[in-house]
Amino acid sequence: MSSTADVGTEIPPWKMESVDPQRMKTMAAILRDPYPIHWDHKSLESLPTERVVNQGPLNLSYIANMLMAWQGPASIRRLKVNFTGWVLEGDEVTATGTVTSIDDVADERHATCDIRLARGDKDVVVGTAVVALSPTS
Amino acid sequence: MAEVDEATMVALIGHKFPGGTRRIEHWENWLLTDCAGIEQLPDGLVHPVSLFHVPIQGAGTSIADLFELGHVEGAGSVGLDGYDWEYFGPLQEEVDYAVEGSVLEVERMTAPSGKLYDRFVFSIEMRSPDGVLVARVTNHWRFRREQ
Repeated sequence: MSSTADVGTEIPPWKMESVDPQRMKTMAAILRDPYPIHWDHKSLESLPTERVVNQGPLNLSYIANMLMAWQGPASIRRLKVNFTGWVLEGDEVTATGTVTSIDDVADERHATCDIRLARGDKDVVVGTAVVALSPTS
Repeated sequence: MAEVDEATMVALIGHKFPGGTRRIEHWENWLLTDCAGIEQLPDGLVHPVSLFHVPIQGAGTSIADLFELGHVEGAGSVGLDGYDWEYFGPLQEEVDYAVEGSVLEVERMTAPSGKLYDRFVFSIEMRSPDGVLVARVTNHWRFRREQ
């Protein structure tokens, strides 16, 4: 975990090197998600892709992983995001973030951060996060 | 794409989900965390991404029920616009959370492509067994009316 955080601090990135369609299948079962674009290639015939589409929550999980690696597993206070593109099986995606403000809230210090998940140069998730900073930050 | 008139959709505003309780069991959290691509979290902490399906299921509904409520079916009929997930306390395995929620907003919109869709917003809260609010989700979905 990082020991310092100030406005402008860049959060260490987190990378998923290849999005695994088997994980999408497990995720669909956990979510009880009947939407076939996540697990059935035949369902994609009317869509502009031949690769199954990663679940939005999994895309967001990569950002959560980055934040937890930075400030600890119980540090996330808010995730507010928009989904701006698909992530497909086999894609490499990278989560990044930058601290935009720091505030004292009750007995915690909160860092508000711009967050994003990108596939190459294209953002697929963008938004803000609030993270409780560890006492050493 | 299923056809439904705007008035039918707008009438969903205020619709309350049945509500209920939801326990996140260890096996479920283990698999969820594995899907997210990281090592298991310590101390029975639940992966934050659980706030997608746990509130929905705990509120006594399901993704399939929500699709039915929104009159959508088939590939390409549903889109995610955004989430606003608030964590007021740590989520733990093997705790019975009380869950309730409702539909906040429904609005028929026209995409830049000229195709119709319904913006569908719902919110669900989770409380600990002693009544403390631990999480709130507000999810923005898109139900497409034209392919």
